[in-house]
Formats: sequence, C-alpha cells, structure tokens
Amino acid sequence: MNVTLNWLKAYIDFDFSPSELAERLTMLGIEVESVKQLGAGLEGVVVGKVDSIRPHPNADKLVLCQVDIGEVNALQIVCGAPNVCEGMFAPVATIGTKLPTGIIIKRAKLRDEESHGMLCSEKELGISDEAAGLMELSSDLSIGTPLTEALGLDDVIFELEITPNRPDCFSMIGVAREIRAETGNDLKLPQVDLQESEADIQERTSVTIDASDLCPRYAARVIRGVKIGESPAWLKQRLESIGVGVINNIVDITNFVLMEYGQPLHAFDYHKLSENRIVVRRAAEGEQITTLDEEERDLTPDMLVIADAEKPVALAGIMGGYDSEITETTCDVLLESANFQPSSVRATAKALGIHTEASYRFERGADPEAVIPALDRAAQLIVELAGGTICKGTIDVYPGKKEPYQIQLRAERVNFILGTELEATEIEQILSRLGFGVEVGQSEDIYQVTVPSFRADITREIDLIEEIARVHGYDNIPTTLPKGDIPIPTPNTSIEVHKRTKHFLLGTGMMESVNYSFNHPNCFDKIRLAADNPLRQALQLKNPLSPEMSVLRTTLLPSLLNNAQHNHNHQIDNIALFELSTVFIQREEPARVAGILAGEIGGGVYGSPYRSPDFFDVKGAVEGILDVCGITDYTFKKTEDPTFHPGRNAEVLLGNRRIGMLGEAHPKVLENYELPYKAYLFELDLEALADAADFSKRFEPIPIYPSVLRDLAIVVDEDMQSDMPIEIIYSTGGELVESVRLFDVYVGDQVPEGKKSLAYTITYHSATETLTDKAVNDLHDKVVKRLNQELGAELRM
Amino acid sequence: MKAELEAIQAEALAALEDVNSLDTLESLRIAYFGRKGKLTDVMKGMGKLSNEERPIIGKLANEVRAALTEAFEATKNALDNQQQEQQLEAESIDITLPGRKPAYGKAHPVMQTLERIQAIFTQMGFQVVTGPEVETEHYNFDALNTPSDHPARDLHDTFYLTDGHLLRTHNSPVQIRVMENQKPPVRIIVPGKAYRVDYDVSHTPMFHQVEGLLVDRHVTFSELKGVLVSFARQMFGDQTQMRFRPHFFPFTEPSAEVDISCTICHGKGCRSCGHTGWIEILGAGAVDPEVFRAVNYDPEEVTGFAFGMGVERIANLQFRIPDIRTFYENDLRFLKQF
Repeated sequence: MNVTLNWLKAYIDFDFSPSELAERLTMLGIEVESVKQLGAGLEGVVVGKVDSIRPHPNADKLVLCQVDIGEVNALQIVCGAPNVCEGMFAPVATIGTKLPTGIIIKRAKLRDEESHGMLCSEKELGISDEAAGLMELSSDLSIGTPLTEALGLDDVIFELEITPNRPDCFSMIGVAREIRAETGNDLKLPQVDLQESEADIQERTSVTIDASDLCPRYAARVIRGVKIGESPAWLKQRLESIGVGVINNIVDITNFVLMEYGQPLHAFDYHKLSENRIVVRRAAEGEQITTLDEEERDLTPDMLVIADAEKPVALAGIMGGYDSEITETTCDVLLESANFQPSSVRATAKALGIHTEASYRFERGADPEAVIPALDRAAQLIVELAGGTICKGTIDVYPGKKEPYQIQLRAERVNFILGTELEATEIEQILSRLGFGVEVGQSEDIYQVTVPSFRADITREIDLIEEIARVHGYDNIPTTLPKGDIPIPTPNTSIEVHKRTKHFLLGTGMMESVNYSFNHPNCFDKIRLAADNPLRQALQLKNPLSPEMSVLRTTLLPSLLNNAQHNHNHQIDNIALFELSTVFIQREEPARVAGILAGEIGGGVYGSPYRSPDFFDVKGAVEGILDVCGITDYTFKKTEDPTFHPGRNAEVLLGNRRIGMLGEAHPKVLENYELPYKAYLFELDLEALADAADFSKRFEPIPIYPSVLRDLAIVVDEDMQSDMPIEIIYSTGGELVESVRLFDVYVGDQVPEGKKSLAYTITYHSATETLTDKAVNDLHDKVVKRLNQELGAELRM
Repeated sequence: MKAELEAIQAEALAALEDVNSLDTLESLRIAYFGRKGKLTDVMKGMGKLSNEERPIIGKLANEVRAALTEAFEATKNALDNQQQEQQLEAESIDITLPGRKPAYGKAHPVMQTLERIQAIFTQMGFQVVTGPEVETEHYNFDALNTPSDHPARDLHDTFYLTDGHLLRTHNSPVQIRVMENQKPPVRIIVPGKAYRVDYDVSHTPMFHQVEGLLVDRHVTFSELKGVLVSFARQMFGDQTQMRFRPHFFPFTEPSAEVDISCTICHGKGCRSCGHTGWIEILGAGAVDPEVFRAVNYDPEEVTGFAFGMGVERIANLQFRIPDIRTFYENDLRFLKQF
C-alpha cells in the first residue's frame, strides 16, 4: 500500500525527513519498500503565462512568446507547440533545469532568435505521455509558483509492505497511529459536523441482515440531490498520488475515505434499488450478478451478497453491481459502510477471482468501529463536493457488536521473554501510545489491557509483548548468548556415511550436482525400467510447473543422464558427476548416492590426457565408497537390469540384500538421452550403507619381518572370473599370503585363442619369522600346482 | 735431478692449465703418474743417487708429487662441477607446462554454502536433524499456527500431490516432529530442501533452507539476537552489522526479519541492496505459544526461538549469479567455478 508524506501529515504532526520516516516505519515492522519524491526533476519548472506571441522571422513553425514567470521582465521563449496561445498558463522550464527526461535547459538561439527557457508538454516533464502540445495549466494558479507546489507534486510516496496480521495499517490513519506510537503526538482525526435534513432515513430505506454470522455490522445513509461530476483538484491529487484511478466525485470520495480510514464504502444509486432497500443475505442457488467490471458472475449459496428487494446488487465486501452503480444521472445515493466476516469474503473473492481494495481489507479484518466515522466523513464530503442533503439519521444494524477485548499482562513476563529490563512505566507508555487501555490489575505488576477495536490481531499476552518489543525497538533489546545447557547429540551414522561418501567421490574427481526432485514421467521409459518395476510408482504433483517437473523422482539416474545430455549439448564431454539426495518411494524418502562417468575423464592436459571411462571406473568408485564406510563383505553379481548393458553390469550385494547397481548404460538408454558415447552409472542406497557401516578401526601391528614379492602370470580360459585364482592363492598360502593384486589382464597373440593371461603380484609374509627363499619357493610352487589342478591354469613363461 | 724435478712440476702445472675435459686430464695423469710417466721415471732414477743426495732429492720429489697430485685433484673437481652444471642446464624444462593436478571434484556451490552454515551452528551446539519433504497440511501449516483460512497461507504457493499430501514449503515441520518426540532442551538445525510454486531469475521451485530451533526453560529474544549475530559475523565477516526488523510469521511471536549490512557496499548503499545498505537474509522469532501447545509443550514452562534462512540467497550474496536457476542446470562450466 502507498502512503504520502503530506497525506499522513493531515492526521499527525511529525518532523521526520522522508528517509527518517522510512527508517522508523521499517523498524516498527512496516517495511518501506521504496521512497519516491513526486515531481523529482521539476525543481526549476514554474507556472508561466504567455503574454504575447509574434511570428518567428526565420521559421514558419516557430513563434516567439513573451512569457511572464513573475519576474520583472518577461522571458522571450521560442516555441513550436501547436496549442500555444496568448493568455495561456503553461509550465516553464527555466535556464539550468535538468528535466526528468534528461534534457538540460540552456540559453539558446533558435534560428537567430534567443530563447530563455522552454514551455513544456506533459511528456517533457515526465508527467504523462501526452506530447501533442503544451501542458495547459489552470489560470487561477499564481504566476511564478513552482510547478510541483502548484500541482501538489511536492510530496513523497512511500510504498509499504503490510504484513497480513496488520489490516489496520491499510489506511492513512492506521499508519498515522504507528507514527503516534513513535512520537507520542496526538492524532488529528477529521472533524465531522453533519447538517442533516428533516427527511428521515427510516422512511426511505431499510436494512435487513439475514446472515448475521457473515455480516457483523451494516450501516447506511441516504444523501439526496447530489450532482455527479468531476472531483476537485485536491481530491484527485490525493488519489492519483497513491495510484488510485479517478472516476467521479461520489466514487472518488468513497475511495478517499477508504484510504483514509481503511473502511471500504460503497455508493448505490438509490433509485436503482428495488423497493429502495437493502437485504444482506447468502446468494440463492443459481443467482447471478453483473459486477462493476461488467462481468457476469455465477453465485453459490455460500457467498454473501448485498441485495435489494429482488436481486443481488453487490458482492458483499468485494465489488458493487453494475446495475446499481453511480452514473452521471444519479441524484440520490445510498451509502453503505459495513463489516464482513473475513473468511467468507476471502472464500468468495478467491472463488470468483476478484481481488479489490475492499476485499483485501475485509479478508484481513476491518475495524467494525470504523464503520460510522467513515460513513459520516464520506457523507459530509459528498455534501461538500457534490451538493445534496443528508437524510436525518443513520441505519446501523450491528448484530456482531463485541465488548472490548481485555488481556492480562505480566510486566515480569515481558522482560522474561525479551531478555530486557523494561520499567513498568515504559511498558505502560508504549501500550497507551498504541491505543491500548492500561489499568493496574489484581496485583501491581499485572495489567488489565483493553485492546482497541482496530487491533483484532491482539488476543494474547504474547501479542502485547511483541507490541512492546517493536515499539521499544528490536535494536534496543540486548544481544546475549544462550545460557541453557547444550543437549547431548545422538550419534548419526547416516550423516557420517553421507559425509565420507561425498569426500571420497570428490577425491576421485567427480563434481557434485544437485537436481530438482521433480522429473518427467517419461524418464522411467527413458531408462528402460521394466513395466512392473516399483520405481515407476512415482508420486505425482497436482499442480506441477510443467510436465518435466510433474513426478517426484524414485531414482537419481535420470537426473544425472539429463545433466550429461545438457553438458554434451554444450560441447562439454568430460562428464563426471555425482549426486547425494533423497528419493521418494511411496511414503519413504530414502537417501541415495548416484554417479555418472561419460565422454572423457582425466585432466585433458599435457601429461594427464583424457581417457574414456569404463566399467571398472564406476566399480572402483563403488568399492571406494564401501571401503570408506568400513564395509568389506560385499559381492558383485551380474543381473538383467534393462537400464544396463547385459554383459557389463553388476548389482552390489551385502549378503542377500541388494544395495545398489552399477554398469554401462544400455545403448538404448544412451540413445534416449542422445549421448554419442558410453556412460557408466552407479546408484547406491545410503540407508543400507549406514546400516552396514563399521567405523570401528583397530590397530594392527606394523610387520617386523620383511615381505617377499613374487609375480605370477597364468593362462586360463578367457571367460574365467579373475577372482577365482585369487581365492585359490589365499586358501593355499593361508596366513603366509598377505595380499594378492591383479596387475595385468592380457588377451591376444601371445596367448592361445580362447585363453587369457592374468598376472598377479603375491606378497608373502610371516608375522613370526623372516621367510627364507626356499620356504617361499616351496609355497609358491604349491600355489602354481593347485592353480593348475583346479583351474587348469598354465604358467605363462 | 733437482732441476729435472722442478721442470716436470712447471711443465705439468702448465699443461693442467690447458686441460678442459676429464679425458685429457686422465691422459695427462698417465703421462706423469703412470707406470711410464715422467714423474715415475724420475723416481725410478733415485736409486742411482748418492747417499747424501738421496734424502734431499727424495724430499723434493715427494713435495713435487704432492703438489701435482693436489693440482690434478683440483682440476678434476673443477671439471666435475663444470660437467654437472652442463648436465643440469641440459635438463632444464619449460615450467609453464601444466602441473599434473590430481583430478579433484568440487562440491555444488549451494552445498558448500549449506555446509558452512551448518558448521557454524554445529559449533554453537545445534544438532543437525532432517525430516520428510513430503508433508501433511498438519505439519506444514496447522501445527505451525497457520490454519487453512489464514492469509499467511497466501505467502506460500504450495505444491500439492495427487494423494493429498504436499511438498513442504519450509523446513519448519521438522521442528514439530522433533518436539513431538523429544523433551526440552532442544537445540537443532534442519538443513534441507523445500518447495514453492515459483520459477524466475530469483526463485527456483526447489530450494534449500536451514532452519534452527532452540527451546529451553528460559530462552529469550536477546539470545536469539546473540545466536544470529554470532552466525552473521562468522558467515559474512567480523565487521558485519545486523538489523532486526519486526515482522509477522504465524509460528513466531515476536517475529523478526533480519538484515545484514550489504556485503558489497558495507552499508553505504548500492544497487545490490536497493540503496538501503541492508540485505535481508533470514526470518526469526520467539516460538509462538500455539506451536508449543500443538506439541504438548507448556508455554508457561518453556520458551524458545526459531529461525530460517534460504541457502541459495545466502550463496548468491557471495557468488552473484544473475539467474539462480543456473544452480540446478549442473553445467560443468558452472560447477567448476566454485
């Protein structure tokens, strides 16, 4: 909502500069989002009168004007505007002015004739887009007055962000009350002194409330014999300064009072109301209304309407009806000032998609006690500005009248909550400046606080404490550290597994990616999940932003493949990414880690060339994760998972529990993501890792006796798994085999067809003695023999 | 013979002057010290000398031998050094060739920021807790004093699931879940994802929050200020100023929006801070008694405070990315920058 400096000053005195006021309001909780000086850049522009005009000797389209700006000598100004005429009042930009449009006015010669300023159009002044001719000013302005003053542009606009709990601040008087809390100065409320006619309102109209649960109060006045017309300049200026459109004097007055009191008003054309009376009721089934915006609206029985004897004439608290609106021919006006139940207005406004200044305030809660002051203020203004007479009396149906709300406040509790040492007198003063009634209650430090009707948000002691805190100033509350005990945290293996996994993967050179939790439902087809795969049962959004973001992901792989595709499309083909995130599997949200290697990995510089990743890169990554989690008893097993190459994949098993998958993406998956090269993927269940993780490390003695290394190259069938010889080596050597490391696999000319060579380094070591050559040789021979007997392995010479 | 020895010495020393390689030095050594060398020859002639002469000439011969040996040794050292220097020179490399940097990955920029925030609060004794992202109306709104017709719900554009659940719009539901299961004192932070229907240069439909909650028998608003000021100084630097503005949240009372002095202009006012000198970074407040009632805590027995901040926003104070949706494209050219 916008307020202006001058408008606020009509209700309270204060000396704050605009920036100071902005600061004070902000620190009271009414955030000032912008401060704008109206008429900025018009400082050198004054009201001028064109005294005489003569032709320009050297130009057909230009004239020479003698312009009076209230100084001793008139100025000669060259002008080319079509509407310039003698006696005209127009804005004059004097020498040295820098206009908002950037033009700087200098003494100039136009075709040899001197020009001492510029007569301006509205566009040149940045007031509007009107550029056809000079801006015509009213001839009752005094010559030489600064234009900003003459047009009421010497004002400052504050754009305020009002929080939903403070509907009372949606008005000038409401904001003025906040300034009162800051300054202690009294409010200057409008003085209303109504001259009523003899004609009694009771004889001319009636108000019936059939839905008192939705309408706590409805008041009306009747003003007869008004003359609809334009509003005076001051009223138009007020409304325009805060961006409210000007319509006619009656509507402008209701809008003005709305802004002043925060009380929405509505003016009906009295004679267009059937039987000239008002019924406040729920809409009947099938009823319709055409609202002021000329839209026909279907009503439902939960909507509150203002009706006449026959039909709805307004949507209560939201918008008036088209058929009963004020027009040029209106002469008698029924003025409504009422209060409606917030959630009802809210529901109706939402259902019909209409949001107005009125609905905005009623939804948040308007002050039922503002109904009469606002009604009387508007009635008085109507008589002043549109003529007519006010019928005697007010109709005021007030079924929802409530006693003022009272709250007990413990002074000691204020300081307990805030950590302050406020004196009782300070608390009392703050509350009374905010309009609260404060009396000492049953004991000396307990107050009985009466809440003013405009503060329906205050219902509890804590609400009062907040009021005290904000007026005292949050900045004046001390800054201390918590004194309480620090609770003993419970150990959390998941966090540790998450951390170790991440550090390990970063160490391998993979970059961390973070993706939206949303996915396109077709992603399951793209990664070729089987039709009955439970991962297809993804949770769906009711209101997705787009199909790409319409289901919650059950696996991280599609996101990573998307990332690969995005990067490839931008010519980045060294793809090494991982992600740690939860997925959504029905009501569970288990955490996963997944990764992708594709294109070329490595440094890509001299000395560290790029290379294509392969199966064993992702396998190594998975093994590394398991290792940093202290998990050793895992196995890999080939599966028929359709996401992967059938011969290059493995599931990761802990006992019988499948904890993840890895492998080369199936060529069709690559096609689906338009990747021209192989991609290697893995995904592991972090919960399973956390369950199995073992961080209990024990010291093992550093060997005292030297180890003996022996290399062993054997030729075996090509399809033999490389871990079979290793098992035999360990079982043959027993404790004396410290480790076996595969360092080469060879298929080619040097070995027979259908065979491959595997080369291992065996480390022999004894914890109790130095092994002799002979002992090692004997053992090594035994190993070779068993490999030959059990696997048909031949030593490769 | 004496003259002969002196001549050999002079001649050898002169010859050494011209030696410029280890090979010629070796030939020269053989020419004097070898089996048929000049000095050896002279020594062989010693037997013919008289008894009187022998010790005199013998002494002289030894002196000449020692002097020459030393001279040869010196020349050899010089040549050795020279040769090593040449070798080192030949081994010189182009040090502008790239270093063989071991491949190392980088954490996502939002995660880097989140981890820093987490570390600061962990030091202050806050325990990291997580909770579900798919939530119920109860935990996301009702238990947080935001009933269904509350205007505050307008502030959250919520993603709903077809099964009636919703994606949490903030991490606050976790506070409720923790308090339901734990007696005070509670001192937690909740990092994680939250969701709102919003998609423009400064909003992504998924974003990260860190929320904090401290509940104890007597927690004050001044302690909330203390914790957050301490956080801001560690996160944004010693000189950071902090400003608490009254605000409204349904689940805290009193509530505050919290600004830090602009990280770019340090409070002087610039475009980034809208010329105010301040940048809003988080929302906070004392836990509303209604929230305590929702979890069966007695608001007369305990008080507390809560705060919540958007990680992307804080990350971007440092990174200054014009369109924060870039965070979630996972473009490697982007990820490698941080």
